[in-house]
Amino acid sequence: MLLDYDRLGWLRAVLAAFTALVAAFLLLPVVFIILLSFGSSRWLAFPPTGWTLKWYQELLADPAWINAALTSAKIAAMAAILSVLVGLLASFSLVRGEFPGRQLLRGLLLTPMVLPVVVFAIAVYAFFLRIGLAGTTIGFVIAHTILALPFAIIPIATALEGFDKSIEDAAIVCGASPLQARLRITLPSIRIGIFSAAIFSFLASWDEVVVAIFMASPTLQTLPVKIWGSLRADLSPVVAAASSLLVGLTLCLMIVTALLRRRSSR
Amino acid sequence: MQGTPLRRGSMAGSGGALPALTLVGLFFVVPVVALLLRSVTDPEPGLQNYAALFGSGTYVRVFLNTFLVAAVVTAVTIVVAFPVAWMLAIMPPALGSIVFGIIILSMWTNLLTRTYAWMVLLQRTGVINRTLMGLGIIHEPLPLINNLAGVTIGMVYIMLPFMILPLIGALRAIDPMTLRAAALCGASPFQAFGRILLPLSLPGIAAGGLMVFVMSLGYFVTPALLGGTSNMMLAEMIAQTVQSLLNWGLGSAAAFVLLIVTMALYALQLRMVGARRLAGGL
Repeated sequence: MLLDYDRLGWLRAVLAAFTALVAAFLLLPVVFIILLSFGSSRWLAFPPTGWTLKWYQELLADPAWINAALTSAKIAAMAAILSVLVGLLASFSLVRGEFPGRQLLRGLLLTPMVLPVVVFAIAVYAFFLRIGLAGTTIGFVIAHTILALPFAIIPIATALEGFDKSIEDAAIVCGASPLQARLRITLPSIRIGIFSAAIFSFLASWDEVVVAIFMASPTLQTLPVKIWGSLRADLSPVVAAASSLLVGLTLCLMIVTALLRRRSSR
Repeated sequence: MQGTPLRRGSMAGSGGALPALTLVGLFFVVPVVALLLRSVTDPEPGLQNYAALFGSGTYVRVFLNTFLVAAVVTAVTIVVAFPVAWMLAIMPPALGSIVFGIIILSMWTNLLTRTYAWMVLLQRTGVINRTLMGLGIIHEPLPLINNLAGVTIGMVYIMLPFMILPLIGALRAIDPMTLRAAALCGASPFQAFGRILLPLSLPGIAAGGLMVFVMSLGYFVTPALLGGTSNMMLAEMIAQTVQSLLNWGLGSAAAFVLLIVTMALYALQLRMVGARRLAGGL
């Protein structure tokens, strides 16, 4: 009866209590950081003795933080666009192509996801030092695109596998060119996959720390590099304010994704 | 098979992969191979970097510590994740979706944000120490940060979703009738758990555990911020060797060791669960 929710008996209470505890553990840092960001104590006393918005004011008044956020957004947007485009083309090959080495290719394109980032970070940093791309926006975008590509390929290829190719063929029979059929029939049908790919690859770049630490220069810093630097210096509440805004962004993206999923499943 | 010879050797439909292949080949494969070559050529050809790596007590300790932390994190993650996955696998979906939402939120929250929260929570004067002292459970603040405890808490927090989510799938795949049969045949809940449920979910535990272990081995950010200098992990050592000591030869050699271990374990994982499931159905 261990897999029957209604017949678990006393065990159900134990499991439910434990699950609630773990859920609280998972939620604790997220809630904590938000409360902290409104607390008035510079020394992060908790529970806060008073509430304030001054850390947000300090954050938004500091051009270093604003620039870092803008740099991050710019790099992540470019990396997302590039990896969705490249990933879309690659997915068609991986799902529909019939050529030797297809499995190998699939493995190769997904490897950046499993290789420890630090190995890729120092490798690409050394390479970019040699060809003059270290510390440049274009270098950042290329490196982040490599890391984001698996997160673009997986949802797109999954969506493409679930799409019945005979619909595309029917469009061609009815007089559409193969390109027209793909653009007007296939792409709209897998749009949820493409959208997920865009969000995941944006986040893969936006949240990326390790490559960014190496690639950053004094004039080119992404948000995670700025946070990393602040964390190593001191635990200022300004970081809590920045972190809370990031949590807000995450929540928005989660809600948008959930809404789109629901709409598509209707 | 009679009809296929025409196709053999053809590259039908491979063109779309060219941009991806070029990108990954030029900016991933070439840099990584160049780095590995550097480990045997910098500062001079030979294996002296590997000799230095395995001959020095400091570096050997880093290796051992890396494996120790990864093993502890994996073990704790499995023990914590299993009951949660079990509950989520059989819970009414309406209730379960709240827990799911929390899991996804914690997983999607910026890594530095989560780590920062733990840095503040685990401080000597942090909330956890103060709460425990307030409750009279401890009288002195516990050392929870810059040591193994800090790394374990922070890493388990990050790894839990990666263990819970695949385990739910593994548990849902078990036919509840097998447990009903066990109960009918007179097995106590403990016997049914130890002899039916646990063995049947073992492949899922092993696959998820291996993934957590591999991910933990190469982790950089959380150990660097929550760990102490005395228990440095491999990824941080590699970064430091290259960034602060500018010793590219030694750093490359250490990176190569990490790469080989990771890829070997990954291959094992691939064999265990099959490439398709690992790639999320791709």
